Amino acid sequence: MSEGIVIALAAVGGIFSLTGAVGILRMPDVYCRIQCSSMIITMGALPALVALVVGEGPLSTYGSRALLVAALLLVVNPAASHALARAAYKTGVPMWPGAVADRVRDTRASEAQGEAQ
Amino acid sequence: MSSIYLTVAIGEVAIAALLLIRLASGPTISDRIVALNAISTQAALATVFFAAFARRTVYLDVALWLASFSYLAAIVWSRYLERGLL
Repeated sequence: MSEGIVIALAAVGGIFSLTGAVGILRMPDVYCRIQCSSMIITMGALPALVALVVGEGPLSTYGSRALLVAALLLVVNPAASHALARAAYKTGVPMWPGAVADRVRDTRASEAQGEAQ
Repeated sequence: MSSIYLTVAIGEVAIAALLLIRLASGPTISDRIVALNAISTQAALATVFFAAFARRTVYLDVALWLASFSYLAAIVWSRYLERGLL
C-alpha cells in the first residue's frame, strides 16, 4: 500500500521534472524558460520529496530532512527566479519576437507621459 | 523500497544531464543561470534519494547545502548582472 503511493508520487515528480527540463530546452526566450524553471521544476521536486516522506515516515531522519528540503525549495526557488527575471529584464535580454505584451515598458511609458504633462 | 529510491535518483541525474544542453548552448548568460539553478535543484533531489538508498545520513546535509547555496548563487549572479558588482 505504502509502496504504491511512493511509486505514484515519485512518478508524478519525475514526469513534472522531465516536463520542466524539456520546457527549458525548447522555450523560445529566457522569460519563458524562467517560468518553466520556477514553477514546473519546483512542482516536480515536491511530489518526489513527499514520496520519500511517505516511504520513510515524517519523523524519521530521512523523512524530516526531505520535508526540510521541500520547504526550503518552496520558499527559495520562486525568489531566485524572480531575481533572475528582474536581472534579465534590466540587462536588456531580448524577448521572443512573437511576444505580445511588455507591461513594464507600457507602465514606464505612461508614467513618463504623466510627468511630461 | 530502496530500488525505487535509486531509480528516482538516477532519473533526476538524467534530467540534469538533459539540462546540460541548455547550460552549454544558452544564447545569453541568463539562460545559463536558469539552467544551472534547475540543475542544482535536481542535484539536491538526487542527493536526498541517494542518501535514502545508501542509508548514509551525511548526504542529507550535502543536499541541504546544495538546496540553500543554489539560491545564494542565483541571487549573487542576478545582482552581478544588474549592478556589475558582487
